[in-house]
Amino acid sequence: MEAATIQHGGRPDTGRPPPSRLPDRLLRWGLTGIAAGVLVLIGYFFIRLYLESRPVFSAYGIIDFVLTDAWIPSKDRFGALPLIVGTLITSGIALLIGVPVAVASALYVTELAPVRIRQPLIILVELLAAVPSVVYGLWGVFVLIPKLKPAEQWVSDSFSFLPFVGGTVAGPNYFIAGLILAIMILPIVAAISREVMATVPVEQKEAALALGATRWEMIRMAVLPYSRAGISGAAMLGLGRAIGETIAATLVIGNAPQIADSIFGQGYTLAAVIANEFGEAAATPTHRAALIAAGLVLFVLTLVINFVARYFVNRSQRAMTRSVPTGMAG
Amino acid sequence: MTTIAPVASRRRRTDRAMRGVLLVCTLLALVPLVFVVYYLLEQGLGALSWSFFTSDPSGRFLGDPGGVRSAIIGTVLIVGLASLLAVPLGIGIALYLVEYGKASRFAHVVRYFVDVMTGVPSIVFGLFIYIVLVLSGIGGNFAGWKGSIALALLMLPVVSRSAEVVLTLVPDSLRESALALGSPRWRVVAKVVLPTAMPGLVTGSLLAIARGAGETAPLLFTAFAVNSTTWNLGNQMNSLPIQIFNDVRQAQSNIVERAWGAALTLVLMILALTLLARLIQRRSRIA
Amino acid sequence: MRTTQLLTALLSIAVLGFGVAACGSDSSSGGGGSSSSSTTTGGGSLNGAGATFPLPVYQEWAARFKDKSGTSVNYQGIGSGGGIAQFTAGTVDFGATDSAMKDEEITAAKKKGDPVHVPTVFGAVTVSYNVKGVDKGLKLDGSTVADIFLGKVKTWDDQAIASQNSGAKLPSTKITVCHRSDESGTTKNFTQFLGVYSKVWESGPGSDKSVEWPTGTGAKGNDGVAACIKQNDGAIGYVEQAYALANKFTFASVKNKSGAYVEPTLESTSAAGEGLQVPADLRFSPIDAPGKTAYPITAATFLLVYQDVCKAGLSSGKAQSLKAWLDYAEGDGQGAAKELYYAALPDAVHTAAMKKVAGLQCNGQPIKSA
Repeated sequence: MEAATIQHGGRPDTGRPPPSRLPDRLLRWGLTGIAAGVLVLIGYFFIRLYLESRPVFSAYGIIDFVLTDAWIPSKDRFGALPLIVGTLITSGIALLIGVPVAVASALYVTELAPVRIRQPLIILVELLAAVPSVVYGLWGVFVLIPKLKPAEQWVSDSFSFLPFVGGTVAGPNYFIAGLILAIMILPIVAAISREVMATVPVEQKEAALALGATRWEMIRMAVLPYSRAGISGAAMLGLGRAIGETIAATLVIGNAPQIADSIFGQGYTLAAVIANEFGEAAATPTHRAALIAAGLVLFVLTLVINFVARYFVNRSQRAMTRSVPTGMAG
Repeated sequence: MTTIAPVASRRRRTDRAMRGVLLVCTLLALVPLVFVVYYLLEQGLGALSWSFFTSDPSGRFLGDPGGVRSAIIGTVLIVGLASLLAVPLGIGIALYLVEYGKASRFAHVVRYFVDVMTGVPSIVFGLFIYIVLVLSGIGGNFAGWKGSIALALLMLPVVSRSAEVVLTLVPDSLRESALALGSPRWRVVAKVVLPTAMPGLVTGSLLAIARGAGETAPLLFTAFAVNSTTWNLGNQMNSLPIQIFNDVRQAQSNIVERAWGAALTLVLMILALTLLARLIQRRSRIA
Repeated sequence: MRTTQLLTALLSIAVLGFGVAACGSDSSSGGGGSSSSSTTTGGGSLNGAGATFPLPVYQEWAARFKDKSGTSVNYQGIGSGGGIAQFTAGTVDFGATDSAMKDEEITAAKKKGDPVHVPTVFGAVTVSYNVKGVDKGLKLDGSTVADIFLGKVKTWDDQAIASQNSGAKLPSTKITVCHRSDESGTTKNFTQFLGVYSKVWESGPGSDKSVEWPTGTGAKGNDGVAACIKQNDGAIGYVEQAYALANKFTFASVKNKSGAYVEPTLESTSAAGEGLQVPADLRFSPIDAPGKTAYPITAATFLLVYQDVCKAGLSSGKAQSLKAWLDYAEGDGQGAAKELYYAALPDAVHTAAMKKVAGLQCNGQPIKSA
């Protein structure tokens, strides 16, 4: 139970501080200074971006900017809906594919794999993170898109009764982008899940086994409840990365500012539009403001995700303290 | 241990099935790795040669496209400077949060904004530096060091976050016993907390550097691109990710081949960093 | 003990980091005063960015110009929109575009000085495609091309295409449209041509550096569109001829103003310059030229510099290099362009362009030749 109280920053104080000396104070205020400095920097970052994006918000209003389906820089019209939809669809696909696989592999590595192959497995999954996004983009363009196109077309034709499936498959599309994002978030989600699972107290697991649980039941009753919060955190981080991922997405999504009617259609993401257009927006104030506003919308998305994720994390942590004992009693 | 209690066959079947599912998922996770590595080697190895590493991109549309020397040098310099900025700052913040800030209101604010920073897409950092440092014309126009700062902004929260996790895992009992022996706080930090956490700190930092090295977006309109080699971070600079990004979008097969070669080079460099991280980690575990 | 060593290492890295950061900002603030020249020593290099349309020829020129003068010209193809934007923002020594700046763009650029358009070469915007089974140049008229890019003509064996190409075997492959995603002079020129022959196009997407495409895949740069064409069976796109030739694309013969189907060649591209009326500021476009043998989607491409390059921020050394570069473009460069299938400027335009270069100034004085 002691370990359970070690959570994000919630460390209990270690008692009365020792008498303060000069090096002590230097370290303390130096570190505080760094933290404050970074805070100032981030503050400046936000204020600057906010000020820079104001022209477009005052011209359109936030609601119109976010909910208008028209991104036509040449006509000075900036409605970010197609970009937002593209961002959400691709990162949604990434989470749907990436998180279950990542969590399952983390469970396998920490609980089931023979000790000898654990470390090699961990290294292999981590290697996925060593591949830069531009390399995934390269691979996506020259391997994934051409190789998967027939399969996608088959799915599109056979399952056209499903919503958002059907029609001609475009080479670069939402699904390809989502798939690449899934691969990219996989190592992070897996790594954090593993870390969290490793902190599950051995006593709990042994207790479950001693009561006659199978390995899977032990995972279900001891490991998963204990690490649920951490896994949500991992998924959250993965989502953050998927939403902001730029280069791989811009290479494989088609860069079409439209809302396609199928997941095999072409779209655009907020991050990709910034990457593609910010070089040519330098001299046109509205366009520049619109791109920065797109960046701000990305923030807000992340903030909301953070907030919601935290709410669930807190709730599941409270639930855990109750559910673990009952789970064990059962 | 599993054999202590007899298990009903239905439960055993579920157990076996679920174990199978987990195994399959693990293998599934490795499929992309196998394919990426396979194609990197298949397409990239052919491009590698002595002149690939020792010549700059020629920029010529027809004929020999040249190598990636300027891109390699640019990446090393830009990422080097970015690491020198991000690693100390990031660990400093984490130390503050774990050792001093703890649950205070200010620490919460810092922690929250560092969290928020991890959610900021790399392209937005590039955009920010472009507006603040490039368009304003501070110290010339596009420059390698501006790319470094954009990368550092990206790496900082990653370093800080991983360092905080590692520092939090240092058992309080260690701190308490050191404090109980009358050590001042700074000695506890220097002699107990940091050494205990060191492998994790180094690993976290190196992983952040590796991530930074592969980033393209923050360099797009900060360090920009150039064909010739430069050692001066005050100049426009080439870098491997940008070279790849530009080459991917070419149609000529010899330029696409260079993209694969450059990608293989970049991945190998990042792998070397990761390997280094593990070596250091292992060594200090013995200490 | 090893841990203390690591700790010292960490601390020294920290100190080093701040040191380097301080140095970086020191040297930069020192250089900031003397403008962009701080990024180079002794005018040894010029930085330019913009259109991808002339990228092949500019890069070839840069390589030869370096052999000749020792000055290295770093030209990055980021699209005409980017070229104008970076030129206006003053982040490059020269910009490049293949559609002349609009009035409001000129106004925006006035902050740094009077922008000067220096036309360099003519090039053909080919309608290139990649269709298995079609390896000969198809004949297409403007309205058919417009209908393809409008998404109205969906397959290669559509009646609109077949009727102009009796005898050609056309597969039923679906057409994939490849277009630019960035702001592009090539797009401006191409869409201007489409607008002439299609009312629907003119009142719909219209003509600009970027338009609202009814269909298709977006790609960055002429190179990106070329890659898009190459990677998709059934793809069609518009790229400069050098890209089409380098990738062995088949491209269409396009019907011109006088009703003839003309293949893009050096001759037909040059022919577009005949009898051209050119305004004093050289903001002209040879699109849909009247000549009988003229290829109708021929475009001129421009380098952008400021009338007074030093007041716009260049050192006098750089001003000399820039003038030498422009002299090269209008001199030896004209001959070199042909090797990459760009046409030299017609005489009238060439004379006017050279006059513009000769008239460039540095702080009110003519620029001395280096």
